[in-house]
Amino acid sequence: MSALQRPLLLLIAGVISYGALLGPFTTYMKHKPVEEKLGYVPSVNLLRYVSADQKEFVGAALLMKIMMYFGGLMDRQDPNVIAERPDYLGMSNMIHTALKLDPYNMDGYYFAQSFLTWDVKQYAIANKLLEYGMKYRTWDWYLPFFAGFNHAFFLKEYKKAAEYYQRAGELSGEPLYFSLAGRYMQESGQTDLAIVYLSMLEKGEKNQAVKKNYQIRLAAFKEVRRIELARDHYLKAGRALPVTVAALIHSGLLSPPPADPYGGQFYIEADGKVVTTSRFSFAEAKNDSRNKAGEPGERH
Amino acid sequence: MASIISITLKGIFRDRIFQGIMALAVLFLFIPSAASLSMRQVTELSITLSLSLISFIQLLLAVFLGATAIWKDIERRYTSSVLSLPLSRTTYLVGRFCGIALFLLFTALFLGSVSLLVIKASSTMYPPSRPLHWSAITAAIFFDALKYIIVVAVAMLMATVSTSFFLPIFGAVSTFLAGTITQQVYDYLQTPSAQKAISEVVRNAAQIVYYLLPNLSGFDLKVHAIYSIPLNTSGLLLTALYFVAYTAIMLAIAAILFERRELK
Repeated sequence: MSALQRPLLLLIAGVISYGALLGPFTTYMKHKPVEEKLGYVPSVNLLRYVSADQKEFVGAALLMKIMMYFGGLMDRQDPNVIAERPDYLGMSNMIHTALKLDPYNMDGYYFAQSFLTWDVKQYAIANKLLEYGMKYRTWDWYLPFFAGFNHAFFLKEYKKAAEYYQRAGELSGEPLYFSLAGRYMQESGQTDLAIVYLSMLEKGEKNQAVKKNYQIRLAAFKEVRRIELARDHYLKAGRALPVTVAALIHSGLLSPPPADPYGGQFYIEADGKVVTTSRFSFAEAKNDSRNKAGEPGERH
Repeated sequence: MASIISITLKGIFRDRIFQGIMALAVLFLFIPSAASLSMRQVTELSITLSLSLISFIQLLLAVFLGATAIWKDIERRYTSSVLSLPLSRTTYLVGRFCGIALFLLFTALFLGSVSLLVIKASSTMYPPSRPLHWSAITAAIFFDALKYIIVVAVAMLMATVSTSFFLPIFGAVSTFLAGTITQQVYDYLQTPSAQKAISEVVRNAAQIVYYLLPNLSGFDLKVHAIYSIPLNTSGLLLTALYFVAYTAIMLAIAAILFERRELK
């Protein structure tokens, strides 16, 4: 056996074994549950020291990790499958850490705004984060725009909303925000304003997972608006509250019947407000369908 | 001196270090596609990744070239033949340092040019919300190179007293890590809560360490480059002067120690 034969045999055996293992190993890694988890992130104080002169890079890497995690979950969202609830607490902690490392990173504020408000309903935390960002990104009109929306739509604090929209208008020079500032001085057309807000974000979004998220929410709000218009026609015809979605469909005012893209059911509350059992979330829709399995009828 | 610088540069190129850097520079080609994953700041992420990659490559070069240059010469007994020539040890040491420093500047120029092209490509595909501040990006690359030249000086200082390469390598890495956080520690010690919680002796000791270690955070201009934040010209001038003074001190100490070192 020549000197080269042994290493050559070893190399061939190695390549064959590697080729045979590659398929099962890739499948194993693909389905590994830990891939779904956000994992442990050391405290921001430690990261700040350990990341040395790479704070911006570490911040961006943490945000990328969250986006990939969220993107993976969004790709599998299907109303017919039990949805896994994202680890919102972990996502929030990681975003806070990333923004402590790089307080200028817009992706962090943008992403936090998208889930802290609609999904987790942590408006105070979202607004605090936006306020923090405004101290650094002094030129950016998006942050006051988001804060204005949160104050008006979620918190019903119209004076505060008007202040933020005024600031967004001054920074962007866009007359739309000045007009929104005026509109938010009074509570009116909340659904319309949500549609304007979501349409604007959806249009400028290029991350497909987040864009899909906005598209679904936008579709849900458009359905809500359709029901609201039908309800208004119903009331104009001299009829009174309460009214049900089924009654609107039977009266021919609502055609085709509304469909909640989250898999929930729309209903009209006693005061006429249109809501959905999904609360604009896949996880909520699943919880609701499990809770009232076998309970037909519409809520009032 | 010029011949030592020239020999150092030739040695670095002969060791195919530059080819290694060029191979690593292939990573720049992937930056625009990696940055496109960002939701709202693609160009900013391109700048972040480009500057981080340059910084990482320069750190490796500074630590390994700075720590091994003198040690290798002593180990291979090159110093015996070189120093038998009419050449002082100080000239030899400073020549070696200047050769490595020039190579770092050359690498910064090469990698910086590649990164500017990458950033330009990203900004053309995804225009940033604010106009790019090219001078800040260039300044960030240049000051990063200065920072790593200080690390080279520290590594060479340690190499003059060390009999193995462990002390210069780990010493340079530790000094680099410590040098990037001294300012944060110093700022924290000035806060009222730290003054209550930490004893005066510890605070004074930390202050001495703050002045002894290089303050490398002053050379980090990445935030200015990434988010187009205006640079402070007088601050930059002070930082450049700090670089000259600190490097001179390190080299002077290294030269004194090297002059007194017994070489077989």
